[in-house]
Amino acid sequence: MLKIENLTKVYPNGTVALRDVSFEVADGEFLAVIGLSGSGKSTLLRCINRLIEPTSGRITWNGTDLTALSQSEMRKVRRQMGMVFQQFNLVKRSSVMTNVLSGRLGYVSPYQSLFNYFSADDHGRALKNLERLGLQDKAYVRADSLSGGQQQRVGIARALMQEPKLILADEPVASLDPVLSHSILKYLEQMNKEDGITVLCSLHFLDLVHRYSTRAIGLKEGRIVFQGLPQEIDDAQFKTIFGQEAERVTIL
Amino acid sequence: MDTSSPPRSQNALLASVLSLLIPGAGQLYLRKHQRGLAILAGVLVLAYLINWTLKNFALEEIASWLWLLFALFWAWNILDAYRLARGQTTYNRLGLLLAIVIIYVIGWCVTDINLDRLVTRFQDVQVVFRALVYPDLFTQEGGTWQPSENFGDIIGKVVDRPAPDWLVQLGLAQKGAKVPTPVPGKMAETIAIGLMATFLAIILAIPLSFFAAHNIMSRVPGGTVIYYAMRTFLNVVRSVDTIIWGLIIVVWVGLGSFAGTLALTIHSVAALGKLYSEEVEHIDPGPIEAITATGANLLQIIRYAVIPQIVPPFLAYTLLRWDINMRMATVVGFVAGGGIGFFVIETIRKGGYEQYAAALWVVAIVIIVVDYVSAKWRARILTGEDKVSAEAPKPFYTSLRALVWLAVLLLVFVLCWQLSEIDPRKLFEPAPTFVKVVRDFVTIDLSPDVFDTVLKQMLITIFQALLATTLGGLVAVPFSFLAARNLMGGNALSLVLYYLARGALNVLRSIEALLYVAIFVFWVGIGPFAGMLALAITTFALIGKLFSEAIENIDPGPLEAVAATGATGLQTIVYAILPQIIPPFISYLIYQWDINIRIATIVGFAGGGGVGLLLNTYFGMLQYHKAGTVVVAIVIVVAIMDFASAKIRERLV
Repeated sequence: MLKIENLTKVYPNGTVALRDVSFEVADGEFLAVIGLSGSGKSTLLRCINRLIEPTSGRITWNGTDLTALSQSEMRKVRRQMGMVFQQFNLVKRSSVMTNVLSGRLGYVSPYQSLFNYFSADDHGRALKNLERLGLQDKAYVRADSLSGGQQQRVGIARALMQEPKLILADEPVASLDPVLSHSILKYLEQMNKEDGITVLCSLHFLDLVHRYSTRAIGLKEGRIVFQGLPQEIDDAQFKTIFGQEAERVTIL
Repeated sequence: MDTSSPPRSQNALLASVLSLLIPGAGQLYLRKHQRGLAILAGVLVLAYLINWTLKNFALEEIASWLWLLFALFWAWNILDAYRLARGQTTYNRLGLLLAIVIIYVIGWCVTDINLDRLVTRFQDVQVVFRALVYPDLFTQEGGTWQPSENFGDIIGKVVDRPAPDWLVQLGLAQKGAKVPTPVPGKMAETIAIGLMATFLAIILAIPLSFFAAHNIMSRVPGGTVIYYAMRTFLNVVRSVDTIIWGLIIVVWVGLGSFAGTLALTIHSVAALGKLYSEEVEHIDPGPIEAITATGANLLQIIRYAVIPQIVPPFLAYTLLRWDINMRMATVVGFVAGGGIGFFVIETIRKGGYEQYAAALWVVAIVIIVVDYVSAKWRARILTGEDKVSAEAPKPFYTSLRALVWLAVLLLVFVLCWQLSEIDPRKLFEPAPTFVKVVRDFVTIDLSPDVFDTVLKQMLITIFQALLATTLGGLVAVPFSFLAARNLMGGNALSLVLYYLARGALNVLRSIEALLYVAIFVFWVGIGPFAGMLALAITTFALIGKLFSEAIENIDPGPLEAVAATGATGLQTIVYAILPQIIPPFISYLIYQWDINIRIATIVGFAGGGGVGLLLNTYFGMLQYHKAGTVVVAIVIVVAIMDFASAKIRERLV
């Protein structure tokens, strides 16, 4: 279980990205984080695996206080938290295989990995994950020769290599068109349902939230303004989260 | 222009009087602050330069002319204030022209230009030109052409030498028996120096560049301090030219190829380190974030998120540096010994012009090849070919081809190591006087007479570079039209002209200014004039190439439009081509002046006058404290020029 208590993040330039945010995520949930750009969604996700250091507050995961861990202890925790990014964040010039294998870096011997050595086990696992995402024939091409949707699937495969208990997905479909958005979210849903991986996913579109998430929280200017089931987001709630001028748009 | 302030016509008289008393004061009073200060600075600099010229050089006959021009400039400033106050258009170009004329007259005098010598001593230089046509590379013996002895000295030869121990032990030769042994020539040595320096520079620059990259160091505790220290270190080392490093290194490890290699390496490490670190700073932060999120440590992040992104730009910069190092390797011998530069000094001393000419030709050929390979390879990296394969790639060491390449590279490396006489032990046993020399060197001498001498030679050097840039640029303009593919090639004759022009530019460009100086020393005598002419040749070649490329890159649209109006060829040039190419031309010229000042500081080593001659003299006379003054002066001037030329070019573009 992931428990966030009074989380606040103030950037050095004075921007307050998160104000006193508290919520809980039960194991096996698919929690959607919604809000406008700049509402603090990305900061929130990155505070959980401490890619961004929180200013104050507490993050507890299965009884461990993450905010109190040293950098090297935190690295061990990160292994169990996969992350998927809006811009995919693949190493474009490396092969798909190398990108996927890099998900194992937290587990393997640092010295062997410096020479691009991964065990046969890891290679097998990488191929299995690629197959699961329908990319087995793309294993040895350069990452930047893939389309956007394929690149995001590589990103998911990389996260799966970590054998994560939790996946943090930061706007995983914001750079993709609607058809691909559904395909990517279906994969995340599958990981959530079949493997029991908890998913924390920030999303723009309410339709996608309704369709995939089991629960949602709404952020506005760094504060939680909504917590509940996706179906509970009515027009009034919608306007609190997205502002008075916002219109609902439907994709597919 | 500031249009908000009302015209102060009633104050025109006051403004003029102010400008009469203090140049620029009228303009300042009219709130044209930049203009006023520029005029004031201009008058002060011009007055100082005129005064300095007349004091240091015997030029009574032109003294009154110079002061007359100066008075005209002063008068222009009064007129400018008056017209400015009345809100009339000002004659900016007139003032600029007057200042430029004064500068060039001074430049002409202090660089000791004697055009008559070009004619009266033409007889003497014909010997050199004949040598250039018949270089000492081959001799005719019994009807067949054979490589001459000089060819062997430059390229390499096979000599009978006592068999080395390893041959004896293998039983392939008798002890003491003579076996044919290849002896590499001076050019082979030069190539080895260039390759070895580049190799060593890569190895040292890569780790240093990470310490000088902000995005890496900010992830390490205390990294920011290391970052600033490393940046400063790289900038200081980079601002000292290879040749000057050569002078310093020679004191440390003694004359020879090793000194040349070290000098090149030191400068290259700083230059590459800076470029590499900038490339590291510009990488996409996304993959770093992603790899960090997997729980990887710093080394793994560098290996998997940073290195794959920086390999192509690193390779491209390294190839460019290799090209530069090969060029510098041809001249570093002038001060450090070793390589073709050392050979050239020796042959000139002996008056061996056929040998000198042969060396020039060999240098030209090697550098043209290097230039071509480096450019082609860089282009291939930057376009980036995609490798698509359906199967897992095998490790490289399993392919025979890769093994052969590896063996060849290893062999080249061993050969280069030997030829560049690398001997790390020498680093730890410097000459006994070394500590004293260094102490002498850093206690720079600022006594008035030394300061005056250094300032004088420094100004000469700056003027030398200015005149060389002007002369080279002027000749390059018409020539560059001949070397532009889009203008030439309409018929057979113009195609021939095009190839001739391009070829001439490429050959001339491949030889460093320092190697040309000997020709002009023979022609017009030792001094800044010879150095200026040598610089003008390289300027002409480089600027000619850049100009012709600028012409080739012009937008053909306006060309078509002007031609469609029924304009003649000349009209097309004036109305469609010139407006497009003048801004890049000026930008290139300013950049070239900047480069030329650096080179002008070293042409003195071959008799080209200026501050290099002074530096060479001080080093020769073991007056290291004075040499220190010269080096500091050079570093300051080069840094200022670097900064100023970058600023000016920024405003132009």
